Amino acid sequence: MTGLIPILALMLQATPAAAQEPEIMAALTQETVEIRSDFSGAELILFGAARGVEEGDDIVVVVRGPASDLRVMRKARTFGIWINRAPVRFEDVPGYYAVASTRPLSELGSFSALRRSGIGLDHLRLSAPDTETRETRFGVEVTVSAIGEEVAEYRAAIARTRRTEGLFAETAQGVEILDGGLFRAVVKLPPRTPIGDYVADVYLFRDGVAVASRSATLEVRKAGIERLIYDFAYENSILYGLTAVALALLFGWGAAAVFNRR
Amino acid sequence: MQIYLPIAEVSVNLILLLGLGTFIGFLSGMFGVGGGFLMTPLLIFIGIPPAVAVPTVANQVVASSASGAIAHWRRKTIDLKMGWLLLAGGAAGSVAGVQLFGLLRSLGQIDLIISLCYVGFLGVIGGLMFVESVTAILRKRRGGTVARRTAHRKRNWIDALPFKTRFPASGLYLSVIPPIVIGFFVGTLSAIMGVGGGFVMVPAMIYLLRMPTSVVVGTSLFQILFVTALTTFLQAAQNQTVDIVLALSLIVGGVVGAQLGARAGRRISAENLRAILAVMVVSVCLKLGWDLIATPSELFAIMPSGGAGS
Repeated sequence: MTGLIPILALMLQATPAAAQEPEIMAALTQETVEIRSDFSGAELILFGAARGVEEGDDIVVVVRGPASDLRVMRKARTFGIWINRAPVRFEDVPGYYAVASTRPLSELGSFSALRRSGIGLDHLRLSAPDTETRETRFGVEVTVSAIGEEVAEYRAAIARTRRTEGLFAETAQGVEILDGGLFRAVVKLPPRTPIGDYVADVYLFRDGVAVASRSATLEVRKAGIERLIYDFAYENSILYGLTAVALALLFGWGAAAVFNRR
Repeated sequence: MQIYLPIAEVSVNLILLLGLGTFIGFLSGMFGVGGGFLMTPLLIFIGIPPAVAVPTVANQVVASSASGAIAHWRRKTIDLKMGWLLLAGGAAGSVAGVQLFGLLRSLGQIDLIISLCYVGFLGVIGGLMFVESVTAILRKRRGGTVARRTAHRKRNWIDALPFKTRFPASGLYLSVIPPIVIGFFVGTLSAIMGVGGGFVMVPAMIYLLRMPTSVVVGTSLFQILFVTALTTFLQAAQNQTVDIVLALSLIVGGVVGAQLGARAGRRISAENLRAILAVMVVSVCLKLGWDLIATPSELFAIMPSGGAGS
């Protein structure tokens, strides 16, 4: 019985493809984006080529930035003033998330395929592990949220806020098909782009499911004097603090010296 | 001309920052105040995260108080003994304030507490200043003379406190407890609000400690210089929230502004100056208060988990 599986796998491999196997390639115009003192956002272009494309196939590009944990609080009026309350912790939320496609996502992919790969703002996985428990209901293991429907409002708030900051985006028709199976998509990075490693996943969708995919990576980092200052502040905090004080004293003393001369 | 601030992680207009520094410097030169209590709210208004604005303004106050303290040092108008006691209290207060700042930040409540402190202090100080200056202006219009307070010193509860010592420069015989307590309070304010605290300390020194006005300003600047320096250092070392680029832009603008302000201040009468300042303080207070009460456009606040950022 155990010997059957490798034989099956061999058979599958040996089966000649009736049509050309769909294949996809992608590259970004830049592999690193540097944040310098004049950084006010950046625009990159993702180029790609697809082989074995049939009529009705779609391309989807998903760019994800470095993930971090978030705390989301709901403001509530207390004694007349708005106070942050009811914190919910979300784990591994991408700091940047942009989707571009050739058609609206709901038209090109099935719900389950989009959900499985986390494609689209509606399908992006935003998990709040502290409020969730795994339970088995009717023999199926499901995730149950302790705060029920409310967690959906928190998720919507994350997407809404990030969208206004330009950190989350979803653009149907954001992928432009060129001649000969070539395509391109514009990746817009806003001024508040977080630093870290980015991954651009490119999918070829056929009949509602992804039949081929490819990834390209991108690094966003602080460069030049900004990087030096940032590293200095975090790696040599004590020396940084002393420098900040010393510079202020120097300027204050300088001002007093100039003033005194008059 | 946009400049990216490496610690605040926002891109702001450099001209705007220099202008803001010059404007606040102008006010501080004109009115003889540190200006931190106006600078921090204004930075928050232009989009600097409060958690970075507060410690960075403390850094800027180091520079502005240093030039003032040096001038007073040369003129020998500092009560050093009193200064050291205020400083001892201030250092302890600053350490406590920085801890409190970190704790509130991890609870997600730092922005609220900063705003509340500002609304409270600016409201009280601005209101008192406004009433006082308007009364003075009206009295002057009526042709009356400004009543001089007699140096007559009544005994009060402060005289009953133990550990008395002599302060030769101020000509006082006083317990060491009030200066330490005042210093502690001001040190805590410096850490939480990013202010020097002169606007609290100067009245306290005059009305509670009854120090002669000739040494009050110098002594308070002496204390502010060291306490804000300590606050800057602690915030940088512990919370990594001091933005040197932002601080330097404000300092450069402030140095120029202070010179211009000091000249302009000589041409306007003291009562009118105080009334103008009072109106500004009250307006900032009202704006901050309104932001606390008005229904926010976004009902959710999103912040990094674990306390980094704001």
